[in-house]
Amino acid sequence: MPVLNVLGATVSYGGRAVVRGVDLAVAPGEAVALMGANGSGKSTLIKAVAGLVPLAGGTIELFGAPQKRFRDWKRVGYVPQRTGAASGVPSTAAEVVSQGRLAHRLLGMPARRADRDAVARSLAEVGLEAHAHCSVDTLSGGQQQRVLIARALATEPDLLIMDEPTVGVDAETQAALAAVVADRIDAGCAVLLVTHELGPLTDRLDRAVVLADGRVVHDGAPPRPVGEHADPAHQHAHPHANGTGGEGTDDYWGGR
Amino acid sequence: MNTDPTILQYFEFEFVQRALISALVVGLCAPAVGVFLVQKRLALIGDGLGHIALTGVAIGFLTGAAPLWTTLAVTVAASVVMELLRSHSKTSGDVALAMMFYGGIAGGVYLTGIASDKGVANLQQYLFGSLLTASWNEVWTIVAGGAVVAALMLVLRPWLTAICADEQYARVSGLPVAALNLLLLITTAVTVSVSMRAVGLLLVSALLVIPVVTVQQFTRSFKATMFSAMGAGFLIAGAGVIASAAKDVPPGSTIVLLGVAAFVATALAAAVVRRLRRTRRGHLPPEGEPLEVELPASSA
Repeated sequence: MPVLNVLGATVSYGGRAVVRGVDLAVAPGEAVALMGANGSGKSTLIKAVAGLVPLAGGTIELFGAPQKRFRDWKRVGYVPQRTGAASGVPSTAAEVVSQGRLAHRLLGMPARRADRDAVARSLAEVGLEAHAHCSVDTLSGGQQQRVLIARALATEPDLLIMDEPTVGVDAETQAALAAVVADRIDAGCAVLLVTHELGPLTDRLDRAVVLADGRVVHDGAPPRPVGEHADPAHQHAHPHANGTGGEGTDDYWGGR
Repeated sequence: MNTDPTILQYFEFEFVQRALISALVVGLCAPAVGVFLVQKRLALIGDGLGHIALTGVAIGFLTGAAPLWTTLAVTVAASVVMELLRSHSKTSGDVALAMMFYGGIAGGVYLTGIASDKGVANLQQYLFGSLLTASWNEVWTIVAGGAVVAALMLVLRPWLTAICADEQYARVSGLPVAALNLLLLITTAVTVSVSMRAVGLLLVSALLVIPVVTVQQFTRSFKATMFSAMGAGFLIAGAGVIASAAKDVPPGSTIVLLGVAAFVATALAAAVVRRLRRTRRGHLPPEGEPLEVELPASSA
């Protein structure tokens, strides 16, 4: 039974179909990348999978249950597209990561030992144990992204959904994150990852699904870098990398 | 020092005791709600609900019912409508809120005009607060309401933080986001209605927000911000009542002016502290973040 089964999914914004009849299945322990140019609908599809945008047609099943009736969200870890972990009131990295444990706690009940352990473990996995009690808005962009990934890991998910987790993250952090995610894949966690670049994180993939104009145009072996992209020393230039926050590719496809 | 005996003498008056107790309770509880509103970037919602509460007060005048309960009913109803508008309409939510806020003021003034025989003179005490004429019954209502609000906010802090900081993530975690949002707005409505006696409807938003933004210049964690904001609100409200009793002015004005002064003072202090730290330590970049560019080899 696939952990995620998308059949004929269609999503439209204001009458314009952004995702058109996409089929996508992710088996337990499988790592799948969702790729495509800006505006191809990959972020919209992943938001639909996470239940953040409604489907105009088709069905999505999570762990064999229709998404509308799926209640076991603690089995899903979600890393949103980078908006920065900082917000209006200061919060420490540990406080942000502990949000990943709320699905495991009964409303109004205090955190148990297992919750605190999971938070500490996730922070250590992404190499931020020394920054647990730092305010997240004093951390760098790459460190904030690691906080968001630690939050998803703290859920102890069986399906990890990540929306462009490596945008604006330096090469060394990318390699460290790839190792963390590879460990989870080895432990049997399925991964669905939106990305538009090939890097350390994409080396461990089982499959890549490429979208163009809202349709699947490739479903199979991950693409291999060619030309100068195959050169390990090649530096990608990202116009929105290391921005001042609040940036993303959302603008290219018309709002979130 | 001849001021100390004078201030102590104030506490012998029962009306000052009543005023002080209610202001301290409001000062303690309002920031506990406000910290979530600031986090959610809804800092002005208290002000908006204060506008709407005016209609509630006027309905109280008109029907002869206690204004506290009519205000509570109107603001809670308004907060439910606001949450529905916020979550269900994407483009016109802002405009709808503006309509409700202005409609609330106009409705209040209109209804007070109809009930002119008893209302108009009284309206000012709700607009600007009239702690000094509150009865013991009203004081106990404030204490009970404050206790419920503070307990709810403290127990649900992690969940409310999650929905205020990152609502999309909270939804993917399967948290009851809609119910928690509604609870937060209803709690805000209760806080506004109950504390209108203390600081007045037009100034109630200040006690929700000012203590929070004052202390968050020095705090690093959400938990510390929440508790120290409650402490700061407690001190500001207490000092404001004493100052208002001494000068015989409405307590809302002295409480808010003290809060604004505290904010300006801490903002200046925080800027100075940051400047000192930077010059003393040098401004080192965070560790573990290598440069992403390759520096050109020096061609010397």
